[in-house]
Amino acid sequence: MPRIKIDHTKCTGCRHCEIACSLNHVANTANPRRARIRVMKDKNRYYPVISGPFVDAACTSKHIIEIDGHRYDMCALCRASCPQKPFFIEAETGIPLKCDFCGIPPSPSCVRWCNTGALELVEE
Amino acid sequence: MNGWYGRCLRVNLTEGRHKIEKLNSDYLQNFLGGRGLGVKVYSDEVSLQVDPLSPDNKLIFSSGPMVGTGAVTGASCNVVTRSALTGTLACAKMRGHFGAEMKFAGFDMIIIEGKAETPVILSIMDDKIRLVPALEYWGRSTSETEDKFKENLGDQWIARETFLVTIGPAGENLLPLANVVNDRFLSVGGAGIGAVMGSKNLKAVAVKGQHSLKVADGNRFVQVVNTMINKLNSAPLTSQSMPQWGSAFLVGLCYQKGILPGNNFQKASVSLRHIGTEALEGAFALRSRGCFSCPIACIKKTDIKHHAYEGKGMIPTYLAIGSLGTNCGVSDLSIIGMANMVCAEMGLDPVATGGMLATAMELVERKIATPEELKIDIRFGNGNGILEALRMISTKKGHAKRLGQGGKILAESFERPDLFMGVKGMPLSPFDPRALQGMGLHFATCNYGSHHLYAYTFIDELLNVNENLDPSEIKGKPGLVKLYQDTTAVMDSLGLCCWPLLGLKFKNFVPLVNSCLGTNHTAEDLLSIGERVWNLERLFNLKAGFNKSHDVLPLRFTEEPISDGNGGEKVSRVNEMLPEYYYLRGWNEQGEPMKETLKALGLED
Repeated sequence: MPRIKIDHTKCTGCRHCEIACSLNHVANTANPRRARIRVMKDKNRYYPVISGPFVDAACTSKHIIEIDGHRYDMCALCRASCPQKPFFIEAETGIPLKCDFCGIPPSPSCVRWCNTGALELVEE
Repeated sequence: MNGWYGRCLRVNLTEGRHKIEKLNSDYLQNFLGGRGLGVKVYSDEVSLQVDPLSPDNKLIFSSGPMVGTGAVTGASCNVVTRSALTGTLACAKMRGHFGAEMKFAGFDMIIIEGKAETPVILSIMDDKIRLVPALEYWGRSTSETEDKFKENLGDQWIARETFLVTIGPAGENLLPLANVVNDRFLSVGGAGIGAVMGSKNLKAVAVKGQHSLKVADGNRFVQVVNTMINKLNSAPLTSQSMPQWGSAFLVGLCYQKGILPGNNFQKASVSLRHIGTEALEGAFALRSRGCFSCPIACIKKTDIKHHAYEGKGMIPTYLAIGSLGTNCGVSDLSIIGMANMVCAEMGLDPVATGGMLATAMELVERKIATPEELKIDIRFGNGNGILEALRMISTKKGHAKRLGQGGKILAESFERPDLFMGVKGMPLSPFDPRALQGMGLHFATCNYGSHHLYAYTFIDELLNVNENLDPSEIKGKPGLVKLYQDTTAVMDSLGLCCWPLLGLKFKNFVPLVNSCLGTNHTAEDLLSIGERVWNLERLFNLKAGFNKSHDVLPLRFTEEPISDGNGGEKVSRVNEMLPEYYYLRGWNEQGEPMKETLKALGLED
């Protein structure tokens, strides 16, 4: 099964993937708010987050994880869109967005435009 | 509309009102956007006699049509106003994410007029436009202001998507050396603009938006971007040097050719060991940061741990290493990095400030001024003195007021204007014009003082990307300078960064522009738009009292050869090149555009 592997240490936060996604899914339109991938910033790092399932209730287990003295807000890195996190919801229609690997066979446009190697398509 | 959003926000701070206007479509065709459109609107609306710091002056933020569309390196937003340092028109380029967010907020241009009674922040949040009282931010550094503002928004998701451009204490204190800083630490590269913003009592502009931008032919556009990314990856400079070290990779090369200046351009820099790219990697842990939709990501961030400043910072670029470092006799990267950070935090321009410090140091060295007179201990090579000076200048503490007025006024107050190394009040960027002749000609003729970011002639002169030119020869240089001045003007007008020209030719951008905007421009069409913008700026400056007598380099460059370094015994031959440059531009011997030239460019009144 194809997956998009994310290496956040390589992400420069340029958000080119967001625009690639938006141009591919909405004809001739560039808008990060209509993209199915968003780049989140937490402390010193950027994390590309690819939209997952929509949940209609906020979760009850918000975690903050500590690794090597760094605290990570898992809510920001969570792939779901929920009532408490207004991401991955099409602003104009209110429809939740989900990554579809840009069709069959998968050739995600975000991976094609990511120049640093932070995003990679892998077979598993 | 493709590319453009087509709206302009006009904010009158005196009345506290705003109004949304439609952009003139004739202007969009002839001047594209960004710098071109900003200069056109500014010269239409503002009278020539206006004092830069008076409420009648206007401040224009202008994003180009390619910004935010996903075009390679389409991130730059220009800030156009009359500079408080030079008195000329200034059009500084702002990198990072602010310009793109401004487009998503639905505005190609923001015009700021008047003066607020008390400090305010202009907040544009999803079509809600407000002036927020900013007393609690006044006096704070740029990053503190940004963090505090985002904290006060009270919602981390909104804060994540908000981008700010702020001034530091230097701008609040109306120092001509001040510039504006966006995305926490990115200097705009426009001395004098921070003071204009400060004079309006405007501490910051914050934007967030969710509008969509349209491109004309999405499929073609995506293909062109793919090709351009591949091309950038196959060029050594844009695939290795820039991503690895940012513009600091130039340090080694400039040192070898004797271009890196030392001690206020008195000599060539002496040693590379402490400031080269190896030292840079040893001194800082580098993290790459990209401006909006930039595959190169030349901005390098790091963590700084110093008793004077601790936190996230930017590693020094070539500009900072040259201006705040070698030209002040300092070759300690940690000091240069700190000085660069203090400049960003206080909202000072590194080039203008470095040039002023170097002038002060030479005055002290020649015993024309004493450290006691300047009330500050600055000497060539005294790094801690620089750090101390920066803080005193920006907060106007002590008696460093004289320094804060800039190098030109400082040198004149000691009756040695010849010791100020700059043109039109703007200190030279750290490229020695004696060893890099084309850049010297650009420094003399640039509409906005001697700033290298308005013509990247070193791409061909030094790096030999497209042509193999000798940096110390003058043959063909006037044509090269004109070409790069026009190229830069049109790239700024489109909202594209010029650094990709290290790996791409200008003509590679033409299909990108056409597929995005739905136009049928050729490379020549676009360059003639650049020429139009350049001539318009020149006309403004001529009417504002700048003429041929201001197109000169300081005497040091034309009369004193460099005695050491690798440049050899050379002087700048700018005066030999100037007539040819005027001829190529279609200007008369006095440097005024001729009627036919203006007619051909569609600029006659």
